[in-house]
Order: sequence, then C-alpha cells, then structure tokens
Amino acid sequence: MGLLCSKNHRYTEADAEENAQATEIERRIEQESKAEKHIQKLLLLGAGESGKSTIFKQIKLLFQTGFDEEELKSYISVIHANIYQTIKILYDGSKEFAQNEVDSSKYVLSSENKVIGEKLSEIGSGLDCPSLNRELAQEIETLWKDSAIQETYARGNELQVPDCTHYFMENLQRLSDANYIPTKEDVLYARVRTTGVVEIQFSPVGENKKSGEVYRLFDVGGQRNERRKWIHLFEGVTAVIFCATISEYDQTLFEDEQRNRMVETKQLFDWVLKQPCFEKTSFMLFLNKFDIFETKVLKVPLNVCEWFKDYQPVSTGKQEIEHAYEFVKKKFEELYFQSTAPDRVDRVFKIYRTNALDQKLVKKTFKLVDESLRRRNLFEAGLL
Amino acid sequence: MVSCAVCGGCPSDYVAVSIAIFSMISLIVKSTFPFLMHKVPIAKGSAFWIPVIQVIASFDFLLSIVMALNFLKFQRSHWWLSCYVWAVWLEGPLGFGLLLSCRLAQAFQLYYVFVKRRLPPIRSHMFLPLILLPWVAGAAFIHEKKHLNYRCHLGTHWIIPVVSLHTLYVSVLMGFTGAIRHIEFRFDELRDLWQGILVSASLIGVWVSAYILNEIHDDILWLQVVSRFILLLTASILVLVFFSISISQPLLSQISLRKREPLELKTMGQALGIPDSGMLLQREVAVDVDPNDPLDKLLLNKRFRQSFMAFADSCLAGESVHFFDEVHELGKLPIDDPVRRIYMARHIINKYIIAGAAMEINISHRIRQEILTTSDLTHPDLFTNALNELIQLMKMNLAKDYWSSMYFMKFKEEARMRCCGHEMEEMRVYNFSPRLSCVHASDDPFQQDQFSSRFTQDIHASSH
Repeated sequence: MGLLCSKNHRYTEADAEENAQATEIERRIEQESKAEKHIQKLLLLGAGESGKSTIFKQIKLLFQTGFDEEELKSYISVIHANIYQTIKILYDGSKEFAQNEVDSSKYVLSSENKVIGEKLSEIGSGLDCPSLNRELAQEIETLWKDSAIQETYARGNELQVPDCTHYFMENLQRLSDANYIPTKEDVLYARVRTTGVVEIQFSPVGENKKSGEVYRLFDVGGQRNERRKWIHLFEGVTAVIFCATISEYDQTLFEDEQRNRMVETKQLFDWVLKQPCFEKTSFMLFLNKFDIFETKVLKVPLNVCEWFKDYQPVSTGKQEIEHAYEFVKKKFEELYFQSTAPDRVDRVFKIYRTNALDQKLVKKTFKLVDESLRRRNLFEAGLL
Repeated sequence: MVSCAVCGGCPSDYVAVSIAIFSMISLIVKSTFPFLMHKVPIAKGSAFWIPVIQVIASFDFLLSIVMALNFLKFQRSHWWLSCYVWAVWLEGPLGFGLLLSCRLAQAFQLYYVFVKRRLPPIRSHMFLPLILLPWVAGAAFIHEKKHLNYRCHLGTHWIIPVVSLHTLYVSVLMGFTGAIRHIEFRFDELRDLWQGILVSASLIGVWVSAYILNEIHDDILWLQVVSRFILLLTASILVLVFFSISISQPLLSQISLRKREPLELKTMGQALGIPDSGMLLQREVAVDVDPNDPLDKLLLNKRFRQSFMAFADSCLAGESVHFFDEVHELGKLPIDDPVRRIYMARHIINKYIIAGAAMEINISHRIRQEILTTSDLTHPDLFTNALNELIQLMKMNLAKDYWSSMYFMKFKEEARMRCCGHEMEEMRVYNFSPRLSCVHASDDPFQQDQFSSRFTQDIHASSH
C-alpha cells in the first residue's frame, strides 16, 4: 500500500534538487571517462640500468614544468651517495683483483691511498653518508687518480660500476662546493634504482595548447624482482617504449653476476613481445647509451657476448661503429620478427638510436614516437 | 579356500583392500585440506613437491602390495600385471624407498639448518634422486636376475639383502633424528619424525615375520591369507601416520583437521611468539614525524612504519618495507634462542631473498649470495647489509614521494587527532605524489583497501 502511494507522490522541490545533482554527477562521470579513454598509456620497460628513468626525467623536463630549485637540491644527497658508492666499488674491486689476479701488482694501491680507501669504503657502506665537502672530494680525487684504481676502472665491466662514474669523478670540485646546486645534466646522470611504479601525465604540445594528445607515462624498476609487478600495468597500453642498453654486452647483471646483460635483455624483450595484452600495442625500441657504445665497440669486440658471437669486424673508426650498430639493430629486428606471431605483424615497430642524456636527441626521438602513434590512431579510426 | 588363497579374492582380502582405499582417501584429504578450506597459498619449491611425492609414493606402495600379493582376481596375461613391476619396482624405488627418502631429505634439511646453522648445501630436488639410487640399483639387479618365483616371493637368500636395505634406510633416518633430538622445535617436527620411524620399524618387523612364515610354511594357505591381510593393514596405517606437513611448512601445521578455531596466526612472528608482532598497540607513542630525520630512525616507530608500508604497497614497492618489518621482528628475538632465530631467518630467506620468491627484494647479487651461503643462520648481522641497501633505496626512491602523498597527510591528521581528541576536521587533501594513483588489477597483492580498513580500525580503537 505504501509503495503504491509513493509512486503517485508529487515532486517536491527537494526531489528536483536531488535529481539535478544526480544528473550533474553523472555528466561529470561521463566526461571523465571520455577523457580517460583519450589518455594514451605508455610504458617504459627494460632491464636494470637501461635508461628508463632517465628518459622519464627527460620527459618531465621537456613537457612538464621541469625541475625547480627545491627538486634540484633534493638530488644533492643522491649525487653524493653515487660518488661514495662508486669509489667504494672501485676500491673493493681493486682489493679483490690484487688478491686473485696473477699480475696483481698493478692493482695494489700506494699505502697512503690505502688509508684513504679504507676510510671511504667505511663511509660508503654506512647508512648516512656525510655531505661531500672539499676535503673529502680532494681525497676521492686522489684515490681516483691512483693507477691501481684506473686499472680497476678499465675492468669495470666485471664489477658493478655505474655509467656515471667518469662524469662525476671529473666534476668533483664543482659537486663538493658548499653552495652546490645540481644542474639538469647532473640530475640526469644521477643513478637511483627505481622500485615500484611511477607515473606522470603530460601533453607533448605543451600546457598552453589544448588539442594535443594526452599521454600517461609509467616508469618501472628493471631488476628481476621488479618485473613481477609489471603485469599490473599491461592492460590497455598504447605503446611500449622498450629501452635496451647496447653498450652493456660485456657486463653482468646487478642481481645475478653469472648472467650477461645483453642476453638478459634479449630474453626480456622476447618475453614482452609475446605477452597476450600487447597484441595491438606499438613497440618503440630505444637502443640506448650509444655514446658509450661508440667508444667501447672499438676496444671490446662484440662477440664477447654470446648473442653476437657471429659478428665480424670489417674496418676501424667511424665505419666500424656504424657497422657494429647496424649489426646489433639487425639482431633486434630478427628477434622481433621471430617472437611476433603472424597475426600481430601489423603492429607498429620502430627502432631508435638514443642517448638518454642528450635532451635534443630525446626531444627529437619523442616527436617521432608521437607522430608514429598519431598516425596509427588515425589508421585505427579508419581515416588513413 | 584353496583357490582364494592362491588366486586372491578372499573376504579378508576385500576388507584389507577397502581399508587401504579408505586410508588413501584420508591421506589425500589430510594433505589438501589446509589449501582448500583455509585458502592458504600453495608454497613453491621443495615445500610443495615433497608432500606431493610422499602422497604418490604412498599410493604406489599400497598398490604394489595389493597387486603383488594376489589380493584381487586378475588374469595374468598382460605385461603390466607382471610381478616385477609391482613387487620390485613399485614397492621399492617408487614406494617404500621413495617414502623414506622424502623423510630423509626433510630430516637432512632440518639437521643442516638447526644443527649446522646453515642452509643445506644440496637442494632437495638433487638430494632425493641421489638417495634413491641404491633402491633403483637393487630393483634393476633383481629384475635382471629374475629371482621371484611364480607367486611373487623372493627366495630365502634374497630376503636378507632386501630387508636389510629397508632397515638401513630406517636406521639412517633414526640417525638424523637422533642428531636433532636436543633441539626444541616449535612445530612438532621431532614428534612427527619419531612417529614415522616407529611405525616404519614395526612394519618391517611384521613384514619380516610374514615373509619368513611364508617361506617356511608355503603350503599353509590360511597363513598366507592372514599374513597378507596384516601386511596391507599395517601398510595402510603406515602411510597415514607417516605423512605430516609440519616439517615442510611449519605454519601450516597449526591448521589441522581437529582444530576448530579460525586461523589466528598470520605471520611467522606471531607463530613464534614474538611480543607485539603484527599488532598496533594503543600505547605506541604518536611522535611528531620530522621529514629531516633519517629514515631508518623514523621506521622504528610502528605507526609511521604502517603508514609508510601502506604507501609503498600502493605503488607496488611494498616488499622493502615488509622486509624491514620482519627483520625488525627478528631483532626482537634474544641471541640465546637460536631455534626461534633460525625459524625466523629461514622464513625471511624463503619469502624475500631466494630468487623468484613471492616478495623478492631488490638487492645485489653479492649480498644475496652472502646471505644464502652464510655459515651461521643465527648471526645477528645476517640481514644487516641487505637492510642497509634497502634503506638507501627507500630513502632515495620512495621517501621523497611519500612526504607529498596522501598517506602522510592521513598519518599527520591521525596523529593530531589522537593527541588532541578532536573530531576529524574536513580536510582537503591534495595528492601531489607522482606515484600510482590507481592500479587496475583484481589480483593486485598490494591492495589499497588494506590501508583504508586498517585505518578505520585504528580510528575506532582510538575513540574508546
């Protein structure tokens, strides 16, 4: 009885207001979900130390407001920690080589430098590193210039020496200044392992223009334990930017020193390509750290890596570098087509030569990526 | 009666076979019950395989006895009904031998971990085939020489080596168990081992008498029937009593078919009786958190740690904070309590350190190897290097994002509320953190809901 009565109930003012509110909320939800659909999801994937976070930082610099002074200052502790860790790795490495190698004399430090080395090693293994002052910087520089440390650095591929070593060691004076504020370049060189997932949203045409694409970029950790978290991000991805460091063909993994990094990258790329969620996803392969590759390939032959064991050097100098690069690129292309099922061959696949530290190059590369994705969108919508 | 004793099919035979089937079913129920009823996650590696192999070996063992001793009437024309398959292969290497080898592998692990205080040098999946080799060799030898008679019995001469092989394994098991008898285990491991030894020793005794009686009085048919009935009966009891999951999964042993209370012990810390494990106590002081303090000091505050853990979980980086938490629990155990320290250390290693572990942490190869090849599992600084590396990682990676996240805002609000006792003010919270705003995954292990439910509980608790 009561129900029948309420059906014939007249609309009061309160009801009308409620209805208006409800429709407003519904309209907002619809708007947001439409906006969500237009956001393109980009994933930065790759093995550890492949340059994903550096690309992430570059995108922030290029298309968002960049780093303000507060944020730049927050990197001081990171940079100082990197320096302590690096010198510790080199010092411990020299001790190890001095013990185990046949011609160990070239890895033995002078006695004063040994004292410095012990002290710095102590600092490097502690939790709270002191801020880098002039005195410490001087000591680090002395140790760095010791021939034993330089010999150890030459064999840095057998240790876990980060790529930013040379840059930071050369700039020690500036970095230890009392009023030091990191430059953009310093921030890009700073090395921090990413754990978990970080995201930003940006529009490549800038904040003031309205009709650009909106991208949401996800950065992840690359070490093996981090990869089990990737699966949570695999739905609805527009494009995967896979970063592969081509200069790491003679190095081993941070998390498994029995495994060659290039072989790991190969396996990882293969795994990513075969994921069922990525049937229609575009793949942008960034062959990263080309600057290091350039210098290394002339000294260390490519065939130390088992994936590249059929490489034959043809000449020297710039020609050789190009030849080696083309060889590596071809290997990745072959891998792509091997791992791609016939029903997926029409997905976009592009390879770019990058150096994640070079802002101009990253900007240019990203513009190409953006163009490629836009073309694909139009194609999908049937307009091309 | 004559035909029944020779060809099988006596009433006592059917009774014995039905007892065997019943015992097999109970075994399967006992082994799968914790996983089905309480939805406990299935362990990986040897903790999963060894119980599975035990169940299979028990089944093989019972089946071999049924088939070899003519319990049921069968036509013996097919090769797979041949005596050698059942009495030799299925009874030895794939039955009794496998059962005892599983137990031996477990006892070996326990011995290494608790007496030598290091992780076992040989992994179980290599150790098990290794100790099974004598059985395989013996079975191959008997098969070659074809010593069984038409009734699947060995000659008197061959009984002695066969029974001595059986007894040898039981005595080796006794030896290992004896070496660990002085350890105060928390999860009934010792009791289960002694139980297994007792029952298997008595079974061998029954067997020996049955065989001897068979040989001496081959023509006394009722003796045949009775002896094989007793054999199958004792074997059925053996497989049921022999099986136990306590050695492989100590936490799981808390769940049994008898207990009716719901599972309260969710963490190893609680199972070991570490004080204040997993609980957020009222009297934990709500200190004002200063972002400039070193992170490792801040993390010692339990409320801060919970809040930080929830934040880390929401951006899929939670394992580092959970590791910190559990190592902190380990630190609460006194140095002169090696047994509990070993349990906790082993639990931490299985959960966080081993490659492919459920919550594997992001540490370097050297540090991982240092922990896995340690010569002392009770050492107080076992996890110190790993912890330091992780704290560095958290400091440089997570901490910055945490201070600008809504988890920290909530934490500050909660602290203010607790000390002032005011009602919660409406506060507009801006989430500036660049970390994940949402994760679209139904099977996300680090669910955001965890935080909100915990948070509500805290509010209710504090309002009393």
